This record gives sequence, structure tokens and C-alpha cells, in this order.
Amino acid sequence: MDAMAHTDQISMSQSETLTEASDNKIAARSVDVFYGKNHAIKNVDVDIDDKTVTAFIGPSGCGKSTFLRCLNRMNDTIDIARVEGDILLDGEDIYDKRVDPVQLRARVGMVFQKPNPFPKSIYDNVAYGPRIHGLTRNKSELDDIVEASLRRAALWDEAKDRLKESGTGMSGGQQQRLCIARAVATQPEVLLMDEPCSALDPIATAQIEELIDELRQNFCVVIVTHSMQQAARVSQKTAFFHLGEMVEYGDTEKIFNSPEDKRTESYITGRIG
Amino acid sequence: MSDTTVPLESQTGHRSLLLPDEKLKKRRRSETWFKMLGLGAVITGLFFLVILIASIVYNGVPAFTQTYLTIPVTLPAEKLDKVGNRNPSDMRKVSTFGYKPLLEQALIDTLADRGIEMPFDDAGILADLLSDGAAAGVRRQVLDNPDLVGQTVEFDLLASSRIDGYYKGRVDRASVNRGMVLTSVHLDVADALKEEGLVERRFNLDFIIGADASDNRPEQAGVGVALLGSLFMILVVVALAVPIGVAAAIYLEEFAPQNRFTDLIEVNISNLAAVPSIVFGILGLAAFIQFANLPQSAPLVGGLVLTLMSLPQIIIPARAALKAVPPSIRQAALGIGASRNQMVFQHVLPLAMPGILTGVIISLAQALGETAPLLLIGMVGYIASNYPDGFLDGFVSPNSALPAQIYEWSKRADPAFYERAWGGIIVLLVFMLAVNILAVVLRRRFERRW
Amino acid sequence: MSFGTLFLAVIAIAAVAFALSRRKVLGLAQGDRRRLHSLPHYHGMHAMLLAAVPALLLLFGWTVLQPVVVDRVAVSHFSGEKYDTSGERSLAMSEVRRVAESIDALVRGGKLGTSELETLSDEDLGRELDDTGIPVLSDLPPQIIDSARIYRSVSATGDLIKLGLVLLLALAGAAYGYSAAHPDLRARNRTEMGVRGLLVAAACVAIFTTFGIVLSLLFNTIEFFRIYPAGEFFFSLTWSPSFGGGSELGIIPLLWGTLYISLIALLVAVPLGLFSAIYLAEYAHPKFRSAAKPLLEVLTGIPTIVYGLFALLIVGPALSSVFGRGGMGWMPSDTAVITAGLVMGIMLIPFVSSLSDDVINAVPQAMRDGSYGLGATKSETVRKVIVPAALPGIVGAILLAASRAIGETMIVVLGAGAAARMSLNPFEAMTTVTAKIVSQLTGDADFASPEALVAFALGMTLFIVTLGLNIVALAIVRRYREQYE
Repeated sequence: MDAMAHTDQISMSQSETLTEASDNKIAARSVDVFYGKNHAIKNVDVDIDDKTVTAFIGPSGCGKSTFLRCLNRMNDTIDIARVEGDILLDGEDIYDKRVDPVQLRARVGMVFQKPNPFPKSIYDNVAYGPRIHGLTRNKSELDDIVEASLRRAALWDEAKDRLKESGTGMSGGQQQRLCIARAVATQPEVLLMDEPCSALDPIATAQIEELIDELRQNFCVVIVTHSMQQAARVSQKTAFFHLGEMVEYGDTEKIFNSPEDKRTESYITGRIG
Repeated sequence: MSDTTVPLESQTGHRSLLLPDEKLKKRRRSETWFKMLGLGAVITGLFFLVILIASIVYNGVPAFTQTYLTIPVTLPAEKLDKVGNRNPSDMRKVSTFGYKPLLEQALIDTLADRGIEMPFDDAGILADLLSDGAAAGVRRQVLDNPDLVGQTVEFDLLASSRIDGYYKGRVDRASVNRGMVLTSVHLDVADALKEEGLVERRFNLDFIIGADASDNRPEQAGVGVALLGSLFMILVVVALAVPIGVAAAIYLEEFAPQNRFTDLIEVNISNLAAVPSIVFGILGLAAFIQFANLPQSAPLVGGLVLTLMSLPQIIIPARAALKAVPPSIRQAALGIGASRNQMVFQHVLPLAMPGILTGVIISLAQALGETAPLLLIGMVGYIASNYPDGFLDGFVSPNSALPAQIYEWSKRADPAFYERAWGGIIVLLVFMLAVNILAVVLRRRFERRW
Repeated sequence: MSFGTLFLAVIAIAAVAFALSRRKVLGLAQGDRRRLHSLPHYHGMHAMLLAAVPALLLLFGWTVLQPVVVDRVAVSHFSGEKYDTSGERSLAMSEVRRVAESIDALVRGGKLGTSELETLSDEDLGRELDDTGIPVLSDLPPQIIDSARIYRSVSATGDLIKLGLVLLLALAGAAYGYSAAHPDLRARNRTEMGVRGLLVAAACVAIFTTFGIVLSLLFNTIEFFRIYPAGEFFFSLTWSPSFGGGSELGIIPLLWGTLYISLIALLVAVPLGLFSAIYLAEYAHPKFRSAAKPLLEVLTGIPTIVYGLFALLIVGPALSSVFGRGGMGWMPSDTAVITAGLVMGIMLIPFVSSLSDDVINAVPQAMRDGSYGLGATKSETVRKVIVPAALPGIVGAILLAASRAIGETMIVVLGAGAAARMSLNPFEAMTTVTAKIVSQLTGDADFASPEALVAFALGMTLFIVTLGLNIVALAIVRRYREQYE
């Protein structure tokens, strides 16, 4: 409550979108993204709820991944990328000059398309975030966080006896769960997942999907996927992107069963994409 | 441990993004420090480069000018042409020593003429203002033009290295005594001569095309002969290393089967690339001079050693260039019935040519500047004072090479040679730059054709 | 016939063979190229290769080997205790060669007929030689003149046989090629096999070079250990060669100097090179990078003699003015370990930085994304993810730089000093293995004396150390590259 008041105080001067957005974890208003001269995202508005799984779907190159990367300012690392419009996290503009992307990314974690564990031990992989952010006072606290994160990523049983072994020696699915554990360990509020299953086999995919469903209890999860089935299985809300525009956004069930836009319908039924 | 429930998400709460906390400030500070360290390292490296270039230019440019004293010299016929027929072959009998007194007299006369006090008892001491080679220069001009005899002619006489250094600011009154030849009194005379406008500093073409001179005439030393030596060595490298290197690269990249023998060759090449250059010098000494009895100090031997040294430097980039040619080109050529050889020589090789050329040129430039192996095959300690007699003789007659010549000068006792050494470095670097520019031009040519 | 003329003659024969064979097959096919198995120029090249390659190989081989054989024959005529050691014999041999050349000059100058030469007594011949003014020993021992005559006659015979054999081989090759020329001949395939053979031969040069290095080091090293105890070479703490004999030739002080200088060079080059690489790869604006990187690399392109001079004339005096007699008083002379080490470090900066740059860039972007995605700053990512991931490659780069430093010659010859000393003070002059190789082989020492031969033992040590470092470094780097491929 205290924090909310604090937020309000700061955002008083902000536009009225604030009141509208404050229920949502993330609110994007008229976001445009340019890669050099390429207009990659066109005027996207979206509100993302806390403790839900939101899926971004759409054909390749539609801008869904680009938009996802805007949510924790990963596009900052690309020199030619330029973001316009407002993206609010808990009512605060994450593109504000005062915001340090480092701090933002601690709160908005990310899991990537290809599992990318660091070439370190499993333990060090998970402990990486807590260490750099200084989240623990001593070794036993860190141990606890590592264990809790691995448990949350459903990896503890497989990994507990090999914490000192390299993370790169695991199977693909395990690696991706390790990356999720790594992201969870920094104690973020939002987890962004960029096609987290596209490099995995069906069994590993099923495990990850199950995991995503569990993560919903504690996190706001945003997942980009090119698989409509996956979106249908794991998400509560779905946004359909096409050619840089967000065509339609709503409850997953509604999008899949009675889409309003023609393009959404074509995509769902497999005519474009 | 499993019982402890860690408050994974409650802890962070909703701290505002807009207010950075202490921890973050600290991290940002260390970030800045780290970045500054990196920038500092780059700047330090560049700083060293600037210092290096500045030293070269500052110390080397004076070598390209030389001081002359403009003195009228009387050339009495009774001394220079005793027969009286103005025939150069007869006049040749008068050696340089015969001309020396003339110059001494000319200096004394000039001083008297211009009202400068003659501070020495002995004209010989006064003549130390001039180079030992000045008399030889006058003699040559007289022999070239015998009609000068009997007249009083103004000559540009080469000043001694210390006087030259005094005008250039290299030598001052405190340091002039060290050579035990000149004294500060000489410098007074030099100042007076300069006031009279008898001193001239000109571009020193002799430094670039001239031969090396002995220890006591640094003012006459030039890099010309050594430059020729380098040129002949590079010719050998171009003639041998380039075809062999490119051929080896083609074999390894396009034809070699995957077997032990190929591995052996590859291991050899990568190891040769890292063998210290001095070891190649030992090879040259033992194999080419001891065993095969090739002449010492010959550019041919130097060229052979440099060839062996450059081979890996040519092969490795050439292979990379061949590898970079897309496989589709190969398939296209094979697909229309070309043989493997035709595919390689008519399609792959021309496409890889720019890359191969770059590697070749870099290795040539490297070979041009290589010194250590040349020390062992006798290209140092040899005074390169004679031009080769002809093209073929250039390969086998003893010579120096530009970097060896620079080393030679840096070892000599008279610091006046240091100026020559720095000047030699400028010539060497210009030579290398020229080679590199040639590379760029050639590369453009090849690229345009394809 | 000189080498060059003979060479050109072979080329000419090959060219004729090319033209004739080409014309022959075209004639047999009645000018219809379609009836040929291979294009006409392949038929020509087939004959050309047959004519040129064996003859040229023979020409080169013979030219290299003949002097060796002639020497052996001439040497075998020496007898008596004056020519006991190999050193004395090689000295006498060079005298023989000089005399032989002088006789050649006499004959060429027309002062001496060949028939005259046969009948001339040794004394008369000696006097003749004296008159030419060509510097030969004034009173030539008869053995030398004798050997010189044998030397000349064997050389002449050798030259004649060479001429005959080479031309014969070239003509035979050409004739065979011409007679084999037929429209059905698989000329392209044969030519291509020939070309491929040449390519293989070119690739084998690398093996021969390694062989040459190993053999030339090995023979002379064995020779050295035959006259100097190996134990003293490897374990003695003194290096004091005296050309009069009684030298102490312990390698340890030289190794100490080498390692000390290399250590200082690495202390300069590794931090500067590594941080430059990190800055240029991770932080620098692309424009800055594209300007700074080639500028830094200029430092590698500068010849080492330039660095040597820089050390001797700029860095040495500059350091000396601070730490030397005028300043702290630690540095007795301009040449010192620190002078050579510092300059060598400068030379190695771009070497370390471009190798590190390669390995840092080989770390996949996914690693960086992963780290940034967790909220790490750039420096944290570099320190905790990229450098550890690239560590094997960086270690490999440092080892390669170390091997460079150990084998570097010109900088230490000019900048480090000449005295072999084992001290901890970096401001003192010390000397290195490479510097001593140069000084032992460029001095006036007799080639067979331990003082000269020790250079080969030093070279062998240097070769083995640098080779070991390189093999380890390359193995590390290769394994590292495979990890991310």
C-alpha cells in the first residue's frame, strides 16, 4: 500500500492513462519501434495483467519479439533501435530518463529462445542474478535462493546432486529450465519468455509449458510463441501481432474461438503465417 | 533446508524505478570505472603509437637535409694537372690528399676575406669543419670537368657531421668536445660563417640513393645500397614464397584428403608461423651458408630465409580466403562438368584473389622489416658501400638490407649515425607503406574484375 | 653454361614442346577440336610439364648438391695435423675456394691458358696469383693449390655432366611428350595430376623447413655437447664466454634474463591489451572502434628494429633520467630489463588485444543477452560472463604473446644490455637467449669452437620452449573455438 501511494505521488504529473493503467502490471501506450528506417512496431497499446500468462502470437517478423524486448529495454543494446511511446510498469514509465535499465531488468526478467546457460556451474548460473544485485547477506541465504529457484523451475530433483557441474552439460530442456530458474532467482515481478520452447523437443516443451502455468501463481508472465496451440494451452490472454501492428488483444478463449478481426481469423485457421 | 520458504517475490515489493538505490549507484560507479580503465588502455596504446611516430619523425627528418659550406676554392694547375693537357686520366694521379691543402687554403682565404679571425695555428684543424669526404667531392667534380683547373670556383663543400649537427641543433657547445675533434672554437667559426651566408642546408638525396660510409664519415652515409639489397631480397621472396605459398594453400584447402599426412603439413605450418625469426636465421646459416656454400651476406640467402619465414604467413590467410569462397560457386562449376582443377583455377582462385593478395602483401611488408635472421647470415657488419654490378650480381654479391643497415648504424659509436638510423627507419616505413598501398590498389583491381 | 642460361634453355625446350605437341594433335584431328579428348592446350601443357619439371628438379638439386660433393672430394686431399679439426679444415676449404676462384679469374682474364695451367708448377701458379692482387695467402701451402686444382677440375666435370644430363632430360621429356601426343590421349587428366603433384610439393616445403630447422639445430647442438659438458650448459650459473678458451657457458642466467624481460613485457601488454580489447569490443562506438583498432594494429606492423632503436635511444635514456644516476640512482645504464620489457610490452599490446578481441567476439551474443536480461551491467557481464567464458582463449593468446616475447631478438639486442646477470633489479642490464645467439654467431669466433656452437644449443632451447608454448596455446584456443562453433 505504501508503495502504491509512493507510485501515485511520483506519477501525479503523468497523463490520465495512469489511473487507467494502474490495475495492470504493464501498460503500453502508442508504442512505436524503429530499427534504423524500418518501422518495426506500429502504435501498439496493450495492458498486461499481473499473475496471468499473456501470449503474443503472430507470423514470423510480425514484431512480437521486438515488442517483448521493449518491455525490459533489451532493445537498448541494439544501437539502431529507437522506441517511442510510453511503457509503464506499475505506473512508472520505464523509458524515463531516470530509469536505469539494470534496475528495470531485475524486476522484469527474461528467458530466451535458445537456452543460454552461462558456461559456469549450475549453482553459479542460478546464483548469478542474486550475486550481481546483492540480494543476499550470506552464503546460506544464497543457497536457499538457489534451491528455491531450482524448485520453482522444477529442476531441483534433477540438479541437486550436480550443482557444481557445468550448466552447459545438461539437456536442452533442462538448460531452458535452468534459464528459467536463473531468471526467477533475481526475484522479478514479470517474466518475459521469447519462444522458450522453439528449440526443444515435445517432451521438454510439455514440461516447460507446465512450468509456465505454475509460474503464473507468482509472476506476471509474457510469452512470445509462434505456436498457436501453445498459446491456447498456457495463456489466459492473447495478443495477435501482424506486420508490426497489434491486431487483436483479449482473452485467449475469445481470440481463438471468435476473433473479431479478419486477419486474426485467417491466422488462426492457418491461412496466413 | 527444504522447509524454509524463501520470500521470493514479496521482498522486492514495489520500489520505484525512478529512484535509484545506493546499491545501484555503487554498481554504476564501478561500471564507470571499468569503462574508464578500458578507454585508458586504448588511449595508452595510442599514446605509445604517437610517441613512437613522433620520435621517428623528430629524429629522422634531419637526416634528409645536409649542411654544405659554400667556399670558393682555387684550383692551381701546377698542382692538379702537372702534365698540363687537362686529360682526366693523367689528372687522376693526384689523389684526394692532393686536394686537401687546397680546401684548407680556401677556408683560410675565406675567413680572411670576410674578416673572420682565424683562431687556429694549424689550417688542418680549421679544415675539420669539413667532412673527410669533401676533398673527394671536389676531386670528382674536377675530374668530371677538367676545365675548372686554373680557376677559382665556388664549391658546396660537405660539412662535417658535427657541424651539420650543430646547425640542426643536435650538437651543442657542451657536447661538441666529446668527439675530441671539434672544439667550441670551431662552432664560433661556424656561427660566423653562417652570418656571412656561406652555410647552406639542402635536401640530402645522397642519403636515399647513396652508399654507406665508414665510421668517421657519418655525413656521407646513405641507405641506397642497402635499399637495393632489400629490393633483391624481396624479389626472391616474391618469386618463391608467393607461388609456393599459394600453391600450398590451394592444395590444403581444395585437394588435400583428410589424413595423417595432411595433418602433418598443417601442424608444421601452424608451428612454423610461431617459430622465432632468429631460428630461421640459424637455419639460413647452417643450411644455406654452411651446407650449401651460398655466399655470405648475399641477398639471395636473405631472400631464401625470408621466403621460408613468410610461407606460413602467406599460406594461412590464403587458406582463409579460399575457404571464404561460397561452396555454391564450386558446385556450379562442377555441375557443368568442369574438372576439380578447372573449378579451382578458373573459379575459386580468382574469387579468393583479393584475400590472398592481402595476406601476401602483409607478409611481404613483414619480410621487408625483418632484421634478426639477417644478422646471422652476415648482412650486418658488412659495409654496404658498393652497388651491385648487374641484375644477377645483385642477388649474390654481398650487400646489406635496409633494416640491417639501420641496426648497423645504431651500433656505431658516433651518435651522428643515430640520425641516419632514424632517417633509415623513415625510408623503411615509407617503403612498407608503399607496398601496402600497392596492395590496396591491386586488390581494388581484382575486385572490380569479379 | 651458367645456371641462368641453362634454366632458360630448359624453359625454351619446354615451350617448343608445348607448341609442337599442340600443333600435332590439332593436325591429327584435322583441326577439329571436338575430336580431341582434351582441349589442345592441355596436350601442349602435358608435353611442357614432361620436359620442364624433371629437368628443372635435376638442375636445382644438382646445383645445391654439387658444391657439397666437390668439397668432400677436395677436403679428402688434406692430410697432416694442420687439418685435424673440422674448424681447421673448413678454414682451409674456404682458402681453397678462394684460390680456385682466383684461378678462374686468371683464366677468364686471358692471362692463363688452360693448357698452361696444367703444366704450371705450384710455385709458379702461386706467383701468378700474387700478381693478380687478388687477396690470397702470400705463401700458399702446396696442399691448398693442389686441392684448388682438384676442386676446379671436379667442379668443371660436375658442371659438364650437369649440363648434359639436364638438357638430355629436358629433351627426352619433350620427345616423349610429343610422341605421346594423340587426340585420344587423356592429356587433361594427366596434366591435372601433374599440377596436383606440384601443389603437393609446395605444401611439403613446410615439412622440409621444419626438418631443416631441426637438423641444423640438432647436428650443431650435438657437436657442441661433444666438446662442452651438457650438465654445465644446463646448470651452470655463469655465462662468460672467452674466445681464447676456458669459457663458462651456463644457460641459466640467459634464461633468467629472457623470462624476466618477457614477464615485464607481459605485465605491460596483457592488461593494456585485454582492457583495450574489452573496451573496443563492448563499449566503443563503432566509429571509434573502426578508427582505433587499425591504429593500434599499426604497432604490430612496425618492424622490431624500430622498437629496438626506440628502446635504445628514447625509452632507455628517458627511464634513465628518472631512475638512473640523475634521479633515483637505481639504473646504472640506459639498457636494462625494464627498457626492453617496456618496449616489448608496447609491441605486444595490439597482439594481445586483437587475439583477445577475436575470442571475446566468439562468445555468443546469447551469453550477453542472458546476462543483460538478468539486469547485469555491462562491466558485470564482461567480468562475470564474457571473460570467464573467453578465458581459455585469452590464456591461449597470452601464451602466444609469451612465446613472441621469448623469441624476440632486436629489442633485447639493442635494449637489454650485453651482460649476463642474475639479479632481481629490473633496472639492471641483463641479456637473453636470443641476444646471445646473435652475439655468439656474429663474432669472430671459429665456427667449430664451443663459443660459436653454443648458439645452436641456445637456439635449440629457444625452439623447443617456443614450440611447446605454441602447441599448448593453439590447442587451448582450438578447443575454445570448438566450444562455440
